[in-house]
Amino acid sequence: MIPSLKNPDKRFSLNPKQLTLFKILISIVFLAIVILGGVFLDEGKIVTNLSERNSAPSLDHLFGTDWLGRDMYTRTVMGLSLSIGVGLIGAIGSALIALFLGMVAATMGKMADRIISWIIDLFLSVPHLVTLILIAFTFGGGFKGIVVGLTLTHWPSLARVIRAEVMQVRSAEFVQVSQKMGKSKWWIALHHILPHIAPQLLIGFMLLFPHVILHEAAVTFLGLGLSPHEPAIGIILSESMKYLSSGMWWLAFFPGLCLLIVVRTFDQIGENIRVLMNPTKTHD
Amino acid sequence: MKKKLFTVLVLVTFISSFMLVGCNLFKSNTSDEGSKEVNEKKKDELVLAFDSEPEAGFDPTTGWGRYGSPLFQSTLLKRDDKLNIVNDLATKYKVSEDGKVWTVKMLEDVKFSDGEPLTAADIVFTFETAINNGSVVDLNGLGKVEAVDDYTVKFTLKEPQSTFVNALVATGIVPKHAYGKDYAENPIGSGPFQLVQWDKGQQLIIKANPEYYDKKSNFKQITFLFLNEDAAFAAAQAGTVDLAYIPAAFSKQKVKGMRLETVQTVDNRGIVFPFVKSGEVNENGLPIGNDVTADPAIRHAINMGVDRQALVEGVLEGHGTPAYTSVDGLPWWNPETVIKDADMDGAKKLLNEAGWKDTDGDGILENGSLKAEFTLYYLANDAIRQSLAISVVDMLKPLGINIKLEGGSWDMIAKKMYSNPVLMGWGSHDSHEMYNIYSSESAGIEYYNTGYYQNKMVDSYFEKALSSKNEEEAIEFWKKAQWDGTTGLSAKGDAPWAWLVNINHLYLVKDGLDIGDQRIHVHGHGWPATDNIVDWKWTK
Repeated sequence: MIPSLKNPDKRFSLNPKQLTLFKILISIVFLAIVILGGVFLDEGKIVTNLSERNSAPSLDHLFGTDWLGRDMYTRTVMGLSLSIGVGLIGAIGSALIALFLGMVAATMGKMADRIISWIIDLFLSVPHLVTLILIAFTFGGGFKGIVVGLTLTHWPSLARVIRAEVMQVRSAEFVQVSQKMGKSKWWIALHHILPHIAPQLLIGFMLLFPHVILHEAAVTFLGLGLSPHEPAIGIILSESMKYLSSGMWWLAFFPGLCLLIVVRTFDQIGENIRVLMNPTKTHD
Repeated sequence: MKKKLFTVLVLVTFISSFMLVGCNLFKSNTSDEGSKEVNEKKKDELVLAFDSEPEAGFDPTTGWGRYGSPLFQSTLLKRDDKLNIVNDLATKYKVSEDGKVWTVKMLEDVKFSDGEPLTAADIVFTFETAINNGSVVDLNGLGKVEAVDDYTVKFTLKEPQSTFVNALVATGIVPKHAYGKDYAENPIGSGPFQLVQWDKGQQLIIKANPEYYDKKSNFKQITFLFLNEDAAFAAAQAGTVDLAYIPAAFSKQKVKGMRLETVQTVDNRGIVFPFVKSGEVNENGLPIGNDVTADPAIRHAINMGVDRQALVEGVLEGHGTPAYTSVDGLPWWNPETVIKDADMDGAKKLLNEAGWKDTDGDGILENGSLKAEFTLYYLANDAIRQSLAISVVDMLKPLGINIKLEGGSWDMIAKKMYSNPVLMGWGSHDSHEMYNIYSSESAGIEYYNTGYYQNKMVDSYFEKALSSKNEEEAIEFWKKAQWDGTTGLSAKGDAPWAWLVNINHLYLVKDGLDIGDQRIHVHGHGWPATDNIVDWKWTK
């Protein structure tokens, strides 16, 4: 299990599992840096500086400055950190809804199953973004509107996965026995089923995350989300559109690239966890 | 596999972003030849790119023509390029001794574009419709309007109101015989132009009205394209338009074959402060007043601390002027209202004397239990307001005044504006606007005087200005209302506003197109330029 001890010369050849773990670790460290950076970066850096407007990337300003002389690097990191925060709340909320509905559908009888499946189909029949915009709009936009919108729109596919998983576990023998012994439905749900679907839930949650972040950026890009002075990544990108025609490419390029990297990192973590946890793939 | 995909994505991002930048370079190079051809073909046609499409249509009784020329209709009076009031349809007008009865004589052989004559009945009809429509056209003071004979109209006001003359300047006359539900889309009038086609959201095409009685336009046909800022600029670069409105952000870039015209305006932006202490609510249950901004020291300190010239340079790329009142540069502006700004030391001293001190060392001043902080609201989808708001917040931080920002739609701001400072803008050739913004009579009425400002002396000057017999007489009182040596509505007096900047309106104009002497523009970018559109011509 520990090859580095067996072959001391090949210290860096890791087996696939370790490699996966290593990737996950790197990704997490990277994201932690981004989040902590956003929290600890000095707000003073994004103070307007009208004498250093529209400057191209340099050593002083890695990502350049915008039309009010604010440092784009600081704004981008703060924006990413904000986006990750919003994404976290949205993804947790969505995963909880999915867990609850999936469990209920699979354990609480045919009628509940039918109703919940119908709701899932209903939500899946409309593109996410449309429902998200509708909900965010009804809540009057802003932070609350976005978070509620994200939470209420991203659960259906995960709920469906959980429902199927629960049904499988439910038909297992030990659950049948437990039922015969007179345990209540809730007791079975909590003690037998929940532990079995935890991995699926975790993976689902991790894979929801990039989705949620992208949609958050999309909605703020459209101007339905946070106030335009907040350093959210969607806002930064939508502002930059105005200045592209004047050749200020750095306003869109670096924040866009960073968003891409962060989203891909989350995706990587999710995929790698899946590989780790999926018994058929673990020893590939 | 994953890694490859990622590399490809990064590459695609790289390439496409460089291509986007490249696009505009190519465009400006290739556009020239095309535009020359277009130019030669259409010397008697004009294509203008504006943003603000009048979505409600072209009905003067609901507000069309308030900013800029009404194009299709003509008015009783109009302002010339020096902003003096001159006759249009009217030949003369007389105001009675008590200032309540206005008698207007008018031209006799004027025809609408459909050939029907324009008579006093049409004028009566226009003003009655406007009153009934309860429109943005301010006709509150008008009691009744009646025709004395075919070409004489008598307006009877409820109160003497010297600014009523502006209603005669701003209200285009509609034909009684051809006015119906769809008039806003099929306007018929006695103005210099006729509607050819209006594709909502896209363009408006007009042609010269052959029946027009005054100086005719030099163009047979004018097309207004309704484009957003980017598209207007792109169209200018492509050479497909003769005039395009552009935001200050684009002003640095040269466009071949076009020149930049910058027009001074009273299109102003400023911060309106709640003037009274909090605690009350208005009839709709919305809270009124703000304890922090009710302190005159805070309002004065903000007025003194803000560096208006830096805002002009930084946010407007130099295309603007510092603003001190809502009427800078207009005939009724009092130049004594100009104050010394960017004076941080003076502002700090003032705050200190008023008892504002930073006792807990967090960089924000306190006065007793009150912290020097408030939320400033601004219209979220307006980039200039946003930039101004952000810059002002940062400018005032060193003073120890902590301003939180909140962007929103007008619907959202309307709920907060009586109890929070708001970044607003006004600007009109109608001196009545000053009354609306500052008089205690209009406190809390829609967006007028949201701060519930009240000063008895200012109110009494307003009353005198309104009861003057004509504009010249009234001007003295308008000026005194701003600052009479001891009190007033400007920053020298009560400072219920901190005015920041007047935004110059920028237009890219094709070389050889003469757009005449632009008068000081009012609020709104685009239409005000059409005020003198009949004077426009090609010089080469």
